[in-house]
Order: sequence, then structure tokens, then C-alpha cells
Amino acid sequence: MDELKPMNEPESIDRMNEFENQLRQALVRRPAPPGLKRRILDQRNLRRTARFHSRVVLWQRLAACFVLAAALGGGLTWRHVEEQRKGEAAREQVLTALRITNHALNEVKARLAVRDE
Amino acid sequence: MARNWQPDFERLVDEHQSMVFSLAWRMTADRGLAEEIAQDVFLELDSHITRIESPQHALFWLRRVAMSRSADALRRRRVRGVDLWIEIEENHGAPQEERSSPLGARLEQLLTTLPEPQRAALVLRYQEDLTPEEIAATLESPLATVKSNLQRGLKLLRAKAECNLKDYVRPGKSLGGARADG
Repeated sequence: MDELKPMNEPESIDRMNEFENQLRQALVRRPAPPGLKRRILDQRNLRRTARFHSRVVLWQRLAACFVLAAALGGGLTWRHVEEQRKGEAAREQVLTALRITNHALNEVKARLAVRDE
Repeated sequence: MARNWQPDFERLVDEHQSMVFSLAWRMTADRGLAEEIAQDVFLELDSHITRIESPQHALFWLRRVAMSRSADALRRRRVRGVDLWIEIEENHGAPQEERSSPLGARLEQLLTTLPEPQRAALVLRYQEDLTPEEIAATLESPLATVKSNLQRGLKLLRAKAECNLKDYVRPGKSLGGARADG
């Protein structure tokens, strides 16, 4: 590499080629630091573990959301059904009251008719 | 063949860690930063590994991402106002025993003083032995720009070598016959 050529060499192409060769030799790939691969694999495992944990947390959150939504939906449905049931019962009571009133009025009407005769 | 190829992450790290690390080191001139970049590049490869179709694709991908991450790191440094070349002088780089020869080491140091696009083109040309077309594809630059960067970079480096490597030039001789006007 340190073989140097005279400055006044006529062929500039040769000079350039030699300079390029020197540059090529200077720029050979360097060996990676000894621990690089281990660090990369460690980081990869850490990331995977973190990713796994974040996925678990995500699924836990989703499950919690689902349970909450189900509870809320169930509650709302129960309330709706209960209101319907109460409404139905009230309606039945009103109808019964009307029937009783109607019956009583019919009796009064019949008594009045007997008395008028 | 490529369709049957299954990427093996550990094997890819084994095969290409030297290439990625060297690219990052030569672009940033900072060993620590180069290690960080190499780590990031391989971790990114891990998350994209299902999209890698062949060994050539992996090599191309790694080169492209290593160059791009190195450029990002340099940009971040510039934004932070860190003077990169002062750090080089502080011997933050390679230990002397790792270097092939003093001349090679000085040439390598001079290379780090070139403008970033010229340095990138020269590193890919002379470290990775890529053609200008391959360099253009790797750097996602026009071919004419790459050729121009190669030519200007080489000329500038020769001129710098002429000026700075006098220690290695014997009387009456010059580095590879390199001359500033040549």
C-alpha cells in the first residue's frame, strides 16, 4: 500500500488507478465489535418481550373493555325489560280498575233501573 | 430460488454486521455512534424481515438503511451543533492497531472530511465495490449526481492527500502519484 510512485509519472490514469487501489485497500470492511451481535440479539429479545407484554396489556384492556361494555349493555337491557314489565303491570292494574269501575257502574245502573220501576 | 429462501436473522447479522458497522463508522467517523446505528439497522431488519425476499435483497436493504441512518445521525449532530471532526481528533474512532496501515488510516481520516454526499458515494464505491448505478439505487439519487459526487470526491480526496499526507510522501514522490491538478 505504501508503495509510492514518482510524481512525474506520465500516465495520469495509472496514477488515478493506483490512488483508487490505495483507497480501496484503506476502505476494507472493518470487523464488527466483538459484542455487537450479542447486543443486537439482546435488544431484539428485549423488544420482543416488550412487544409481547404490550400485546398482553392490550388484550387485557380489550377484555376489560368488553366486560365493561357487556355489563353496561346487560344493565341497560335489564332496566329496559324491567321498565316494560312495570309498565305492563301498571297497565294491567289500570285495566282491572276500569273493569271494577265498569262493573260497579253497571250494578248501580241496574239498581237504579229496579228502583225506577 | 428466492421464493424458497427463508431469512435467518442471526445468520444475516453474522454475515453483514461488519458491512453495516463499517458503513456507519465511515459515514459518522464515530465508533460508538456506528455501533448504535448498526444495532438500529439490524433491529429494523428484524421488524421488516418478512418482507425480505432474497439474500441480495437483504444486502441491498441493509446498505440502504445503514446509509440512511448514518445520514440521519449526521443531520441530528449538525442540529445539535456538535463538531464531528473535533471528536475524530479526540481519537473517538478506531484504535491504531485495528487499522491496516498508517497511510490507510490517514486516507480514511481524510475521507471523513469530505462533504457527506461525496463521502457516501466513495464509501459505497470503494468499500462495497458498487457500480455507480448500484450506488444511485442505494442512495436513491440520480445516476448523474452519483457520478459527479464520485468524480469530485475522488479529486478532492486526492488533493487533500497531497496536502496532508506529506509525512508519507518520500522526497520527489507523491501518494499514488496523486496531484491536485491531476
